[in-house]
Amino acid sequence: MAASSPSPIFPGFEQARVDTLKIRDAADVEQAVRAAIASEQPLEIIGHGSKRLIGQPMATNALLDLSALNAVVAYEPNELIITVQAGAPLADVLSLIDSKNQQFAFEPINTSALLGTPDIGTIGGMIGAGLAGPRRIRAGGARDHLLGAHAVSGFGDSFKAGGKVVKNVTGYDLCKLLAGSWGTLAVMTEVTMKVMPRPESERTLVLSGLDDVTANRAMTAALGSPFDVSGAAHLPASAFRADIGGFADPGSAGQALTLLRLEGITASAVHRAAALAVLLAPFGAAEILQDAASAAVWSSIRDVKSFAADGALGAWPVWRIVCPPATGGALGQALSRDTGGDVVYDWGGGLIWVALPPKPDAQAALVRTRVNAAGGHATLIRASEQVRRNIDVFHPQQDGLASLSERVRHGFDPKNILNRGRMIRGTAT
Amino acid sequence: MTIMMPASDQAVLARRDEIVAALRAIVPGEGVIDSAAEMVPYESDGLMAYRQPPMVVVLPDTTEQVSNVLKYCFEQGIKVVPRGSGTSLSGGALPLADGVLLGLGKFKRIREIDFDNRAVVTEPGVTNLAISQAVAHAGFYYAPDPSSQIACSIGGNVAENSGGVHCLKYGMTTNNVLGCEIVLITGEIIRIGGKSAETSGYDLMGIITGSEGLLGVITEVTVRILQKPETARALMVGFAQVEAAGECVARIIGAGIIPGGMEMMDRPAIHAAEAFVHAGYPLDVEALLIIELDGPGVEVDELIGRVEAIAQGCGSTTLQISNSEMERNLFWAGRKAAFPAVGRISPDYLCMDGTIPRGALPKALARIRDLSEKYGLRVANVFHAGDGNLHPLILYDANQPGEMDKAEAFGADILRVCVELGGVLTGEHGVGVEKRDLMPEMFSEIDLNQQQRLKCAFDAQGLLNPGKVFPTLHRCAELGRVHVHGGKLAFPDLPRF
Repeated sequence: MAASSPSPIFPGFEQARVDTLKIRDAADVEQAVRAAIASEQPLEIIGHGSKRLIGQPMATNALLDLSALNAVVAYEPNELIITVQAGAPLADVLSLIDSKNQQFAFEPINTSALLGTPDIGTIGGMIGAGLAGPRRIRAGGARDHLLGAHAVSGFGDSFKAGGKVVKNVTGYDLCKLLAGSWGTLAVMTEVTMKVMPRPESERTLVLSGLDDVTANRAMTAALGSPFDVSGAAHLPASAFRADIGGFADPGSAGQALTLLRLEGITASAVHRAAALAVLLAPFGAAEILQDAASAAVWSSIRDVKSFAADGALGAWPVWRIVCPPATGGALGQALSRDTGGDVVYDWGGGLIWVALPPKPDAQAALVRTRVNAAGGHATLIRASEQVRRNIDVFHPQQDGLASLSERVRHGFDPKNILNRGRMIRGTAT
Repeated sequence: MTIMMPASDQAVLARRDEIVAALRAIVPGEGVIDSAAEMVPYESDGLMAYRQPPMVVVLPDTTEQVSNVLKYCFEQGIKVVPRGSGTSLSGGALPLADGVLLGLGKFKRIREIDFDNRAVVTEPGVTNLAISQAVAHAGFYYAPDPSSQIACSIGGNVAENSGGVHCLKYGMTTNNVLGCEIVLITGEIIRIGGKSAETSGYDLMGIITGSEGLLGVITEVTVRILQKPETARALMVGFAQVEAAGECVARIIGAGIIPGGMEMMDRPAIHAAEAFVHAGYPLDVEALLIIELDGPGVEVDELIGRVEAIAQGCGSTTLQISNSEMERNLFWAGRKAAFPAVGRISPDYLCMDGTIPRGALPKALARIRDLSEKYGLRVANVFHAGDGNLHPLILYDANQPGEMDKAEAFGADILRVCVELGGVLTGEHGVGVEKRDLMPEMFSEIDLNQQQRLKCAFDAQGLLNPGKVFPTLHRCAELGRVHVHGGKLAFPDLPRF
């Protein structure tokens, strides 16, 4: 039976065609997946639904809603681990670990500004999407911080992966697969994450007026230094078309900014900022942002505020390109020139966000040709449903790798019950 | 040898001459070894209690040869055991009587050093240390540093997800590899990742790392390299009780300090090490911590002060701080020589490798003491205290009838204790053959089946390194079956909104 009441979570969603299954515990997930297998009905897995707009459009008749699986099971700051249920609100978990001066070192992205959704989402969504922020260059991604999980496979069986300690090589590392699998392999019900101390202080060096390729060289020099840079981003002048927040202090509207972050105990951050400024002197004089001002800038970069849904480019499709870091400047510049789009750089050039003037194919062929030549891959992170239907949202893989990935998926979900078709075009039905 | 390996395929053994000839056609010259005498060095790896001559040893030197060897073995139904430098401590490269031992030792070339992208592309037979040495002139290094780093190969490191004393701060192998070329048992060559921070699609690099040679044969690895920290200093702190040392470790972490290394030794390990290297270790303490801070001098100096205060607050009875590289190296000398030092005081020893939550350390050590009495065997403990990775060394004499079996039973009991206390069977040495039969202590049959389905995606015939990791290998057809539970009624009993 379909429900009739409007969903508080998904305004405008066609309720009449969709069952929302509100999960109470892990056993419910098993039961729902088994029923889905029996009735050959695929399930869309959601927490808060904050990232539903990412991926190929799916044709599912039922939502598996994990938002009620929201408990913190155990938090042991001295063991550097936290165990939470997958539906736990990310905002709550972040504030809990923050209260003990700890953090997820990979700096998970809050996609709400980019996608125009109201919520930051759940822990399960954070891992399923695996979108890491600026500190990925130093601390790794979500995959490096997921230590263990309980999940229900597409066989309808609850299984355990990994453990609850920071060092473990017992059996295959299934956690790595779950991170970034967009809910297509298994439904996570409980996860154990590694937490790390939050740095005492931070400083950000700001260089002004560099073109993309020169900025890429400056970031490469910084990341090749012993100063332990934990953020390296470049925002061309076009990134400031609208007020993107966080950038009041530099006041460099109309100028490109190159930003390099140093974190640690105060004495160390101060020392390294000064030393890095000397190293980068050939690229110009650096302004230095401290603590709160620095944090505000990086939060804006992390969440790609330049391309916010309510900003000047809100209607433009957005690509997320991951490439060898030293090639980023040239790649971004070429893409910007060829497509008429805007770019911003993170990860020292290894992550490029590209917003393009709207076209039915989001200029996929052009973007992917350029990206392939650089040895990277491109994901269409924001686009209308129609555009996402037209093109491959995730980067197409070479034949051998694609078949191997499909065999791996099949090993978790042979009936294609979980988020059917989200990662591969043409497999939704 | 007390572990059961898969039954030998007599039909394969009967065709040995023909198989050797076929392999020689693929790998010419000295690349195929079939004489009993020349195969002796390949009979075991770092877990020397287990030995088995292989049917034949093949040492290819190109990816194409690897591919053709695997394709031939796949078509002929012949088992294959991959091997790097043979330093595995869990028997990961233990040969099979009816299997081809595929050694990657000839893949010794570093293919590309790319400082701008902070990456090194290397063949799998290159040693861990050789990578660091190749980039040292520019101030870079490769962070994971297993104690066998002068000998162990990077391909083996990826297969085992090797750790080292610095992995609390810098991660294990899995956190430091970017991509690889892998050859499947069918001979198919697959490239995963590259110099980018992330691979596209599912993180297959993440599961290949630590898959212990069961999924494919690695023929190229791309690792990320880091700039060496400006400086490093160490503290050596003694405690009258293990509990106080454990508390000190917890408080350091609790204070937001992640040391480059944080090692603990118990009294028997301290005494053995001191007698061996004369590092100046205090002999009247129950636990010794070596804590290393690295980074810019200004940071290291300040953190040394903070750690010193924490240690004193925990009642340390001795405390020394290194003031030179010579002193720092001396502090480490005993710890680094702990295994051979223990080897001097006992004819044989078994090195275990469980991980526990750090807070459970006093409990774990008490349980190990009880077991030591029960089995009548001595034990010395060294411990990567920062990440809870425990290495109890069980002392025994293989010449005494039954003593090796007793030592193995003792070791198994220690690992059971680790799991019981919330930990895991292995922190960095791998499951191999050594811990294979203990896997059910940690994983249910459903858990293990899910892992084996992954194996099926790579090697459905189970020809790559069988007998390792899994106590029983199920047939892939059986594992792939979906059981339809209950009737066709969709979602009974669930609240709907």
